Amino acid sequence: MLGNKTGGAGLVVLASTVLIAGCDGWMGETSGEVDITAMNADELAEYLVLETDSYRFEQEAQEGGSARERMKQDGIQAACSLEGDPDADTAGEVIAMARESYEEPPGGPRLGNWRRGAELARSGYGYRIGHRNDDHGSREPGGNCYACHQMDPAEELYGTLGPSLAGYGATRGNDSSVVNYVHQVVSNPHQYFPCTKMPRFGHNNFLTEEQIAHIMAYLLDPESPVNQ
Amino acid sequence: MFKKALLALPVAMAVGAAAQAGEWQDPNDVLQQFLQENPDSAYLHQSEMNIMMMPDNPALWLVDEGEELFYAKRGPNNVSLEGCDFGKGPGELDGAYVELPRYFEDTGKVMDFEMRLVHCMKELQGFTSDDAAVGQRHGNGSDIMKLTTFIAHQSSGMAWNPPLDHPQEQAMRDAGEKLFYRRGGAMDFNCASCHGDVGKQIRASVLPHVGTGPEWSKAVSWPAHRAGHDNVRSQNHRIRGCVWQMRHAGIKADTPVNTALISYWNDQARGEPAILPDLKR
Ligand code: HEC
Ligand code: HEC
Repeated sequence: MLGNKTGGAGLVVLASTVLIAGCDGWMGETSGEVDITAMNADELAEYLVLETDSYRFEQEAQEGGSARERMKQDGIQAACSLEGDPDADTAGEVIAMARESYEEPPGGPRLGNWRRGAELARSGYGYRIGHRNDDHGSREPGGNCYACHQMDPAEELYGTLGPSLAGYGATRGNDSSVVNYVHQVVSNPHQYFPCTKMPRFGHNNFLTEEQIAHIMAYLLDPESPVNQ
Repeated sequence: MFKKALLALPVAMAVGAAAQAGEWQDPNDVLQQFLQENPDSAYLHQSEMNIMMMPDNPALWLVDEGEELFYAKRGPNNVSLEGCDFGKGPGELDGAYVELPRYFEDTGKVMDFEMRLVHCMKELQGFTSDDAAVGQRHGNGSDIMKLTTFIAHQSSGMAWNPPLDHPQEQAMRDAGEKLFYRRGGAMDFNCASCHGDVGKQIRASVLPHVGTGPEWSKAVSWPAHRAGHDNVRSQNHRIRGCVWQMRHAGIKADTPVNTALISYWNDQARGEPAILPDLKR
């Protein structure tokens, strides 16, 4: 992950002025006396996230590494921390970063089993940590697709943050260009939709390549309920 | 632009005709006013059942218990919380809740409501983090939620108006805005991923939009009886839940990231009357 924003460099540490009078001062606990008004808003936000003991950073994240790693931004996360849509330059940079880090699965993208894909697309389990931790040993993490997309037109519970994908394969077919495109989107959608709200399921190792193959079958297999 | 101009006016002018900035209103009356004035808000109108239940909001049961706790002599120091200054003077609760977070001279920092309450329970009453009185933060049975509901209720119907006069208040509010848009975690989410558009749904939940005053005022109106949890929940509990769903790192209580986020989100509801306590899905 790129610590490309401000790190500790922007902090203004005052040697003598006592800014913290109370004994439960958060600033005093971790870093001496810090004048938060001497930082700009970006610097202060980074400082608050990384230096004030606001998170349970010592916890292990399911994808490996500590919880702290989750809160350090990579290039795309930093570039897309925006109100509204990215400008043309930012969009171009984000697309370039996304393309550069894209990896095809060994042997190329393929379709798995749509029945398995249906379960994975519905499941919202996985990767949550904090006051309660998802246990991947007892339950497989899922893709949360229904949180944002309509898929099977017969399913009534679906979110609307993303476009409807009902009939996705029926309208587009499933030749290799379609299969490749869908893999690129599910793995890292910023290649086509810079700063999209959709997670990078492949890039972030949120889903395995095998799981992605199953979900792709759910979208593209002519037998899948998505395409009825 | 029109909205910006409104926000610059004294808060009393921005709220509905019925409400004065400083006037207490029954939480159900505030809700009814929002519903009537915003007939197209999918978020506000999403639960017929909750709207019907609102006059008998179970959160109101905690108000009396909280009042008793507030005035009782408690803790190792055997004093009441009447000496606690939430920003309007010791024991002054009218309108205090909607004017937080704020900078406190005695601690030299910006504190949100829960942070301040805990501070007083420790400093005045002598409780420590090991005591259930401050250690237990969630659930109808906790002292913190009873006190929170009683104190917040004293500001019902008043307009959100967190002060921004002190440079630290402005700094925390601005950092909170950055945090709201800061992407991170295993799903690359920021708060705006789900609260940045009007009328969107995640699964079955209609999401409140941060840029729509009445929706956002109801959204930040905690404490609220959360029907799905059958318990009264706090602003901090909501943040913890959203952060958990976002697959960020787990957030801790009484921390500056909480305070900054609340500084921003209460500011986004500025001028709109608060529903205290509210009732949510
Ligand atoms: C947080 C919301 C969210 C989640 C979760 C999500 N998506 Fe998306 N998805 C979007 C959005 C938004 C778009 C539209 C791209 C844009 O404009 O940003 C999109 C676009 C897509 C597209 C491209 C549609 C096209 O026009 O070709 C596909 C395919 C897709 N999503 C599949 C999935 C699958 C499969 C999953 C589950 C593994 C998933 N999405 C989970 C939000 C989401
Ligand atoms: C993955 C989507 C998602 C993200 C990201 C998210 N939230 Fe939420 N948030 C929700 C859902 C779902 C609800 C419940 C809405 C409902 O039940 O109608 C909610 C509720 C809320 C509410 C109270 C409104 C209510 O009716 O319950 C507030 C305030 C809020 N979120 C703030 C935030 C903040 C601050 C962040 C960033 C730290 C954030 N959210 C990130 C999904 C999200």
